[in-house]
Amino acid sequence: MRGGAVRTLWMGIALAAALVLPAAIAGAEDLTAREIMQRVEDRDEGNPSIIDVEMTLIDKSGKQRLREIRAFGIDRGEDELQLLFFLSPADLKDTAFLTYDYDESGKDDDQWLYLPALKKTKRIASSDRSGSFMGSDFSYADLTSRDLDQYDYTLMKETEVGGFKVWQIESVPRTKQEIKETGTTKSILFVRQDNYVVVRSVGWLKRGGQLKYMEIQALEQIDGIWIGTEIHMTTKKGDKTLHKTVLRNSNIRFHQELDEDFFTVRQMEKGL
Amino acid sequence: MAGPLSGCDRRGDAAASPVRSRLRRRRPWSVLWAGLLAALLTGTLAIPTVAAEDAELDEVLAGFDDEGDQGLEEILEGFEEDDLEPAESEDEPVSRFWRISGELSLGSSYNLLSHRPPPGSAQYGGLSRLRADLNLQLDLELPRSWRARIAGRGFYDSAYRIRGRGNYTEEVLDLYEWTAEFTEVYLQGSLLRDLDLKIGRQVVNWGTGETFRVVDVLNPLDNREPGLVDIEDLRLPVVMTKLDYYFGDWDLSLIAVNERRFSDDPAFGSDFFPPEMGLGLPDQEPAQTLGNTEWAAALRGVFEGWDLGFFAARYYEDLPRVEYPGFTLVRGALVPLPTQHSRLTLLGSTANVALGNWLLRGELAYIDGLEYFHRPDRETARVDLLVGVDYSGFTDTFIALDLVNRWIDGWESSLLDAPDFVRRNSLEVAFRIQRDFLQDRLHVTLLAVGFGRNLEDGSAVRLGVDYDLRDALSIGGGVLLYQAGDLPPLSAYGRNDRVYLQAKYSF
Repeated sequence: MRGGAVRTLWMGIALAAALVLPAAIAGAEDLTAREIMQRVEDRDEGNPSIIDVEMTLIDKSGKQRLREIRAFGIDRGEDELQLLFFLSPADLKDTAFLTYDYDESGKDDDQWLYLPALKKTKRIASSDRSGSFMGSDFSYADLTSRDLDQYDYTLMKETEVGGFKVWQIESVPRTKQEIKETGTTKSILFVRQDNYVVVRSVGWLKRGGQLKYMEIQALEQIDGIWIGTEIHMTTKKGDKTLHKTVLRNSNIRFHQELDEDFFTVRQMEKGL
Repeated sequence: MAGPLSGCDRRGDAAASPVRSRLRRRRPWSVLWAGLLAALLTGTLAIPTVAAEDAELDEVLAGFDDEGDQGLEEILEGFEEDDLEPAESEDEPVSRFWRISGELSLGSSYNLLSHRPPPGSAQYGGLSRLRADLNLQLDLELPRSWRARIAGRGFYDSAYRIRGRGNYTEEVLDLYEWTAEFTEVYLQGSLLRDLDLKIGRQVVNWGTGETFRVVDVLNPLDNREPGLVDIEDLRLPVVMTKLDYYFGDWDLSLIAVNERRFSDDPAFGSDFFPPEMGLGLPDQEPAQTLGNTEWAAALRGVFEGWDLGFFAARYYEDLPRVEYPGFTLVRGALVPLPTQHSRLTLLGSTANVALGNWLLRGELAYIDGLEYFHRPDRETARVDLLVGVDYSGFTDTFIALDLVNRWIDGWESSLLDAPDFVRRNSLEVAFRIQRDFLQDRLHVTLLAVGFGRNLEDGSAVRLGVDYDLRDALSIGGGVLLYQAGDLPPLSAYGRNDRVYLQAKYSF
């Protein structure tokens, strides 16, 4: 495992699979694509939160591997802190990953990885976020909040997904640097009009002519906050499925009593 | 590979003839290294250059211009269901205050070259290791967030029975054939909100080095088969009492090392035992008394984009030294003096700086109290400097380079002779590249380590592959090639090239 931010794992680990305040829905039909994405970004995250994440990796022949994670998150205003503890498989147990995701444009995240086999915490330096997260179809970029100013958004049309009205929005990175760091050259997002959750997306990968399909299969409202509880991410080439990841969130607890002292190297080394 | 080929100055523990006359130039392995790396970087692993990536980006971006609505509609149909569905989740695990975990592995090594390391040892060639290894660990959750761990390890190597136990020295059989021991045994918790205590057998890993050790001096290493010891087993736990006080961005550690334990180095008769060391000498380890307690302290700060650490230790040198004049008279007969461990003082500092995809690392240590056979009346100081860099800018790939120089203050040419075997400057270099394939199922690692400006003190290259058959079950193998050095211990490694296989199940 290597670097890359993982800030929004607890929120459904999807491309801005997010929420906004219900009040924001008023007058939604007049919004531009950029304004819609801003409202997707300005969601209530149930800060701080604790979520158990189960990630099933399925290869094209159907063989499965399972990763279980307990994710802790806190938003301290401009910056977000995330601490992940790996619960399984056994050879990854007690591995921990800490991210300080800074809101300031151009400022790299701080990341540390605790390796129980070495009894060592390593600082990770990686502005490249295109790598696979734990062997899944999610990249580190998929799990990180994106700087909206780095993208051009176009409202393509209104359509329906699962019986709900959605906006279909095209998202194109403005710079080669952003493409290089995220590994994605373009995305199309489907944002539900009633709650501003991105329920589907397709991303064009820069290498190999591959496409990544994200779909929220189960969406729940917990403590007034919408969250995807089952999310599928599938990597395809043409109509062939190359690999798939199914992510399930459970034991979701928002507004927990966690302070910033929990999101430290000290806690990584102490363990859960 | 971190320990066996790294770290300390390399000295023998028995008098032998001067080795300067043996010093000779060998054809360095740098050509082989370069070839391997070139293949790795340009062929097999196909890591693209930045220029190639830019060209590819332009091509991909241009492709959007031709994309028609029909193509997009076809793409969006890709959300339709496929046959790949996850298995149903198992029942919730039962919450208990205890948990047993561990690893079971089977590993084997096969020596590629037949040779007989002197004196009187076995013929090494073919099967040299067939080891079943079990690690068991019990973790206990105690009241008030305290916790305890009791872990142990045992292995049995059947290669010695297969090859004939009588062919091996007693020392080799003692060290390599089987073992059973407690590894980590500790109690851990918070005494106050900002004050933690950890007491018992444990590992404390200091420093920033990816391969070499400069300030990381507290735990001895398992060097029995250099380059092939599992990373989990590389550092040997010792009994310590460790207090950590946290304030702001800083962590102050105070440590008392209550157990004297030294590295498991190759035994007399092993093919890794340097011939310059003769028959070996008995080692007189410091007694396990309160007065011999080792002390250490660290002050480490973690900041936005960088880290800083300061370290101090009063400890025993891991490598034993031969006491001058080496022999003493007992009832008219010359009896060799046992080797001793010098009491050292270390003052050191470390730093990390993250810059985009680059991590710059540094360590500096001043070590005083070194004693040498050829300088019996004087203690000597050494300055160790490590400079390292990591690069993570290639997808799923990690690259690290470590450079270390160890400089002896007031060095004299006699220190190059047996049994000291130390140069004024000992240069060490390590290059590591790791890449994950097949959605993190296949892991490839290349590690090249060299000693000396022209690799005259030896080198080693390991290419290894690990494949996850399924969760917690992996198989792997690789090749480890050595080039002998002019000085011990790598002087013994020249014909020790081997291939290895391993299967590991974690539970």
